[in-house]
Amino acid sequence: MGNEIFVKAASTTPATAGASIRISRLEKRFGPVFAVDGVDLDIAAGEFIALLGPSGSGKTTILMSVAGFEFPTSGTIQVDSEDLTYVPSNRRNLGMVFQNYTLFPHMSILDNVAFPLKMRGLPKAERHARAEAALATVRLGGYGNRRPNELSGGQQQRVALARAIVYQPRVLLMDEPLSALDKNLREDMQLEIKRLHAELGITVIFVTHDQSEALTMADRIAVLKDGKIKQIGPARELYERPANLFTASFIGEMNFVDVTVESVGDVVSVGLPWGETWQLPATAAVDGVKAGEAAVMAVRPERLRLGAGAAGQIVNVTLSDIVYAGSAMLLIGRLPDGTEMRARIPGESQLSSLAPGDVASFTVPAAAILLYQGKR
Amino acid sequence: MKPPTDRGSLVLGAYVYAVLTFIIVPLVIVIPMSFSQSDYLAFPPTGFTLKWYAEYFDSRQWRAATWLSVQVALLTAVCASLIGTAATYAMVRGRSRFVALFQILLIGPIIVPHIALAVGLYLFFQTIGLSGTVPGFVLAHTVLTLPFVVFTMAAALGKVDANLEAAAMSCGATRFQAFRFVTLPLVLPSLASGALFAFIISFDEPVVSFFLSGIRQKTLPRRMFEDIEQNLTPVIPAIATLLIVLSIAILLGGHALRSRSKTQSSAG
Repeated sequence: MGNEIFVKAASTTPATAGASIRISRLEKRFGPVFAVDGVDLDIAAGEFIALLGPSGSGKTTILMSVAGFEFPTSGTIQVDSEDLTYVPSNRRNLGMVFQNYTLFPHMSILDNVAFPLKMRGLPKAERHARAEAALATVRLGGYGNRRPNELSGGQQQRVALARAIVYQPRVLLMDEPLSALDKNLREDMQLEIKRLHAELGITVIFVTHDQSEALTMADRIAVLKDGKIKQIGPARELYERPANLFTASFIGEMNFVDVTVESVGDVVSVGLPWGETWQLPATAAVDGVKAGEAAVMAVRPERLRLGAGAAGQIVNVTLSDIVYAGSAMLLIGRLPDGTEMRARIPGESQLSSLAPGDVASFTVPAAAILLYQGKR
Repeated sequence: MKPPTDRGSLVLGAYVYAVLTFIIVPLVIVIPMSFSQSDYLAFPPTGFTLKWYAEYFDSRQWRAATWLSVQVALLTAVCASLIGTAATYAMVRGRSRFVALFQILLIGPIIVPHIALAVGLYLFFQTIGLSGTVPGFVLAHTVLTLPFVVFTMAAALGKVDANLEAAAMSCGATRFQAFRFVTLPLVLPSLASGALFAFIISFDEPVVSFFLSGIRQKTLPRRMFEDIEQNLTPVIPAIATLLIVLSIAILLGGHALRSRSKTQSSAG
């Protein structure tokens, strides 16, 4: 009887309905170690969320708790306000794509994709028709009779995707699904998954340690460290205005300089290690820096401008390396106090005269500077 | 041009052939002896007759012993495969702290001398009345053959990605369905090969059977030992020949299954 309810839910749910997910105070302890340490996460219906973090940050454990392969120590997981925290994985009706394809090697592609429908008791003709349709959705129509080992890695992952969406689940969970693919395929698959997400309106939780993947694909990205969410927001917000030092150093490249806050008001004035004092707009202070305390000044390498311009602060950098990096030149050098400073400058024309050992002046636009409490 | 002769490899070759000869000679002797016309065991055999085979198939005692051995071996194969697979699955997938202990207990019968096991089982089965019964033989042989099933299944199950089962469960399969539809088909060739091992080990197991056999319930090996002691007619080589043929058939069957499982797992 359970199966009938299952099937009904699966077949009458329109293809455009994703579920909302609410994760509340989620905790998972392995012995004394907190793999997940009090995570709250609200995901809107149809949203694409990336969980991004270094290994051991708890991102996979969160995903596995949503999938039902791990049961949390405490906290709740609700999908469309139905509590699924301790529901076994096979009754959650969520689609899942694993890192290493996990196609059933003894079954044809069609049987692989039809497997979830078989488990839901659909008759053979219908499940084959729907599996064919799902294969067509991932552009693998006509591959049904092949075996998994006759397909390339990218094709296998698309089959896994088809299998995960064939019963029109409300949520699609993906555990580093692209990390086994090489770079070009990975970019194709990123677009493929984005397209599917837009087409199906399904809610996606996507675990990755690849930040460019997260920035490209997700509506919002949750940055995790030590089982905690350090910041959650859209890609632009995370990149342009990281909320804390961890996110600032984890996402993209960032230059850090230790400074002392001298006064806070309409402008923040900071003392630099080589004796200068800079007046920064109050918006530069991301978290509440206080006068007299240490702070860290952060600037993205691509925001530096070569040469002394008008709008911004000027720094002199003694160059140590000049690296050709395709779309830009990477200049690496040291500030007067010895702190390393990197700059990415597009175009070569003005750079041809520079050599290691030269002192170059850069302009730092005031809007590009962020200030955080603490030391780097 | 010929490569230079390597004396070491010549010696090794000679040694290997000597070992093979040593193994095969008894077979070469036994098979012709089973066709000998003389009433006692003799080599070289004289004449040619099939009467010893006829005597084996005509004798009620021989047939009873064979039937008992077949029953015991079949049931043992079934029990050892079921228990061995379940136990190995628990060991390979389980997270229990007792996995190592469990493993030692399962593999123990290979290390413990069969005679020790036999004496223990004899005393125990005597008191509870299992001695000389089919369940008694099956219990004893299941213990003896479990290690072989565990070895083959540990290798096979270890090769099946646990994520395949997770994937099946995320598709809506229960844990049992995940095993039934995904894991089992992938390890089936190894399971069959383990069952064949269990069958053949049980079928010609002498030591435990010797202790557990009653006056009426005798397994084929036990009956053969008796005949050797009392009559020593060429019925023994005739049966031995039949067993050799059966063993070779089973070994070849097992080999075919294993090579099939290899191509399948490399495909996966």
